[in-house]
This record gives sequence, structure tokens and C-alpha cells, in this order.
Amino acid sequence: MLWSVTVQLLGGLWTTFRIFIFTLLFSLPIGLVLGIASRSKFKLLRSILHIFIWIIRGTPLMLQLIIIFYGPGLWLGHNIWSGNEAGRITATVVAFTINYSCYFSVIFRGGIESVPVGQREAGEVLGLTKWEIFWNITLLQMIKRIVPPMSNEIITLVKDTSLARIIAAYELTFSGYSFMKSAGITWPLFYTGVFYLIFVGVLTILFNLIEKKLDYFK
Amino acid sequence: MAILEVNHIEKQFGHTKVLKDVSFSLDQGHALAIIGSSGSGKTTLLRCLNFLETPDKGEIIVKGERIYKAGETKMSDSELLQKRLHFGMVFQAFHLFPQYTALTNVTLAHKLSALKKPETKANRKEVFDKINARGLELLDQMGLADRAYHYPHQLSGGQQQRVAIARALALQPDILCFDEPTSALDPELTGEVLKVIRGLAEKKTTMIIVTHEMAFARDVADEIVFMDGGIIVEQGPARQVIENPQQERTKAFLSRYSEG
Ligand SMILES: Nc1ncnc2c1ncn2[C@@H]1O[C@H](COP(=O)(O)OP(=O)(O)O)[C@@H](O)[C@H]1O
Ligand SMILES: [Mg+2]
Repeated sequence: MLWSVTVQLLGGLWTTFRIFIFTLLFSLPIGLVLGIASRSKFKLLRSILHIFIWIIRGTPLMLQLIIIFYGPGLWLGHNIWSGNEAGRITATVVAFTINYSCYFSVIFRGGIESVPVGQREAGEVLGLTKWEIFWNITLLQMIKRIVPPMSNEIITLVKDTSLARIIAAYELTFSGYSFMKSAGITWPLFYTGVFYLIFVGVLTILFNLIEKKLDYFK
Repeated sequence: MAILEVNHIEKQFGHTKVLKDVSFSLDQGHALAIIGSSGSGKTTLLRCLNFLETPDKGEIIVKGERIYKAGETKMSDSELLQKRLHFGMVFQAFHLFPQYTALTNVTLAHKLSALKKPETKANRKEVFDKINARGLELLDQMGLADRAYHYPHQLSGGQQQRVAIARALALQPDILCFDEPTSALDPELTGEVLKVIRGLAEKKTTMIIVTHEMAFARDVADEIVFMDGGIIVEQGPARQVIENPQQERTKAFLSRYSEG
């Protein structure tokens, strides 16, 4: 029994992991672009972004996921996500990417703004180009400041992947839950919790390492 | 011969005119002190020289070459970078790069510009060793030989400001600007920074020093400019301006300082 539960949970974990990794892969760069764009000189662009970010951060991710998954089928008359597992995961990643890009953009913007203007100016008077200043001066200071809020958000993402259950993607929580439904046993739910704890634990150790690495300057 | 001529500079932020027709010149090897109460436009003037602000009117001439004239076609970024290097800047709040050691702060700009030259590629180590040796020399000159591998947060304010001076000197600017270099320091630390600047003056470094240290300005500067409300009210030989000011506003300003 333990063995078959483990195998099934590992299958769920794999789906959870793919949602997690692909969401990060897309939302980190998009978040950075949105973060930079939300400080743009163009007021219209800024306003549009602020409203968009406000809407995304102000509504539940589960609601967004449902709209992204079922919406196109109802509006267009045909489902753009293929009905199989891959389609569900894709829809989840799209919804999560939109959501997390907004959260990350706010963190990135805060990071950029937290580096004092004087740092950039000191680079300018030394004749450095904008790119050299970003790459050699601003970037690391910014990273140092965004690691703590970033790690919080990324750990939340691990747990948010369980929302994919709502559109029947067979992620980790779904797998644990299926035993309760089919066999009426609850211990696999706790076992599922252990999987999450290990996942989050590994990430926590990783982020602590990065924070330690950047501890050498203030 | 004047190494720097500043003619009819004007600068406005929104509706406030911060600099109104500012003109002065500076001879090679001379130190010019700029004094004046807070808000009189001293920082803005230095920032204009370093192209951190763009003057609305006027021109800047260095070594006979007009490097800036308001209203003329915009310069390209690379031109701007070149022209900037005529000036060095030491900020009131140091602005050292926290993630780099004192030595790297001093050598970073030099190394980055060396990397852009194709001949560096072949013997990068040799080039960097030379730059490092020069950086260590500068830090030694600032009395910081034993602090080269410390990070800014491990240094006192006075030490940080001396690293900042070495960093500005590293690119051998024609004119070195200081914006209240000791104002952010505890009183017991101002002496070590002033001593370094005094040493530079003795070596005939061309400098513009914004300062509230009147005795220092009198003793170290060749000329003094007194600014008030965005104009130059009085300028002349240092000793004369401090000890025998001609303008009422200068007298009022100086008497406030001698009382305080
Ligand atoms: N970026 C800016 N935007 C608007 N006003 C500014 C800016 N920089 C300086 N000022 C104003 O210009 C005046 C002169 O400032 P500053 O040059 O810093 O004077 P000082 O260095 O002599 O104290 C002040 O009234 C200040 O508020
Ligand atoms: Mg000032």
C-alpha cells in the first residue's frame, strides 16, 4: 500500500513540479519587464499596468484559473486547451504566469527603486554606460534586496499549484485526495503534506544559501 | 591659463530658477572653494559640470574646448561619456559601491574601460595587475593601504570618503569636484578628509570644493566664490573674500559662520 501511494504521489509531484518550474521560467522574466515598464515615462502605459496588476492581485488565483481554462471554450465555442492532462497543465501555467508575473513585477520594481540614485550617479560620473552601471553596480544590490520577498512568493507558488486540482490536473494534492475518495483512508493526505514540506524545505535551504552568499555587503 | 571656463550657466527646476547666469573660470593647478548657504545652488552647479544635470543656458569650456553649449544638438552617449571624464566628482554621501572592496571601487571604471580595448584581451591579467597596482598606490596616498580589501560597510565615514576620493582620482580628471565632502561626517572624522584634500592642493590638483569649512577654504583654496540665491555674489582670492568681503550678503553669511 505504502509503495503504491508513494508511486502515485510521485506522479502528482511531477505535475506539481512542472507547473512550478514553467511558471517560474515564464513569470520571472515577464515580471522583470513589467516591473521596469511600470516605472516608464509614459503615463498611459503606467496606468494600464497599474490597473492590470491591481485586478490580478485583487482577485483570487483560483477564479483566474477557472476563467482561463473554461473562458475560451465558452467565448470561442471551442476549447483552446486540449482536453488531456497536458492541456490542463498548460492552462494552469498560463494562469499562474499571468498571476505571478504581476506579483514579481511589484517585487522587481521595489528592488530597482531600493537602490539609491546616488549609486547610478556615482557610476555615471565615472564614465560608465547605462548597461555597465546596471550590470556591475545596480543588479547585485537589487538581487540582495529582492531575495527575501522573492523566496516568500516562490514558496507560496509551491502551495498554490494545488489550485490546479480545480480544473482536474493531477497534481500532488489531487493524488493524495484520490485515496481518500476511493479507499476512505486519510493517512496519504498527511503523507502528501510531507512531500510539500520537503519541496519547500529544499527551496528554503537554497534561498538561505543565496542570502548568506550576499551577506558580505550591506 | 584657464583650464575651465563656465559662462552664463542657467538651470531651472520646474518654475524655480536655481542657477541664474553663473560664470567663473579656474586656472590649472588652482583650487576653487564655493561657499554659500544651503539652497543657494552649489550642488546643482557641480552637477551641471558633471552632466548629472543639463544646464538650460550657457557653455562650459575645458582646456579651450567647448564641451557644452546649451541648445546645441544633443551629443551622443559616447561623446557624453568622454566629456564627463574631464571632471571627477566626490559626493557628500560617498556613494561607494557596497558590493566591492575599496580597491575594486577605485579600479572598477578603469578595468571596464580597459576591457573595451581589443589589446586587453590578450594580456588581461597584466593589464589588470597594472590597474590594481595603481589603485593600491592611490589608496596608499589616501592613508588606506591597509584597508584595500575592506568593504565599504567595514570602513568609517572618513575612510569611505577617502576611498571615494581615490576612486575619483583614478581616472585622472582634469578637474576634481567635491560636494561638501565632510558634511556627512562626524566632527572628529572631518580632519582626516580635509588633510587629504589639502595634500591634493599642495600637489597642484585642479579642484572645485563646495564646503562649509571656512577656515579650510581660506587656507587651502586659491579663490573663493560666494553663492546666494543661484547667483555668484562675490568672487576673489580666498583670503580676501573671507577676511575682507566686499558685499553685504557675503559679510552677513560669514558673520553667521563665525558666530556659529
Ligand atoms: N532635482 C531637483 N528638482 C527640483 N528642485 C531642485 C532639484 N535639485 C535642487 N533643487 C532645488 O534647487 C535649489 C538649490 O539646490 P542645491 O543646488 O542643492 O543647493 P545647495 O547645494 O547650495 O544647498 C534648492 O532650492 C533645491 O530645493
Ligand atoms: Mg548641496
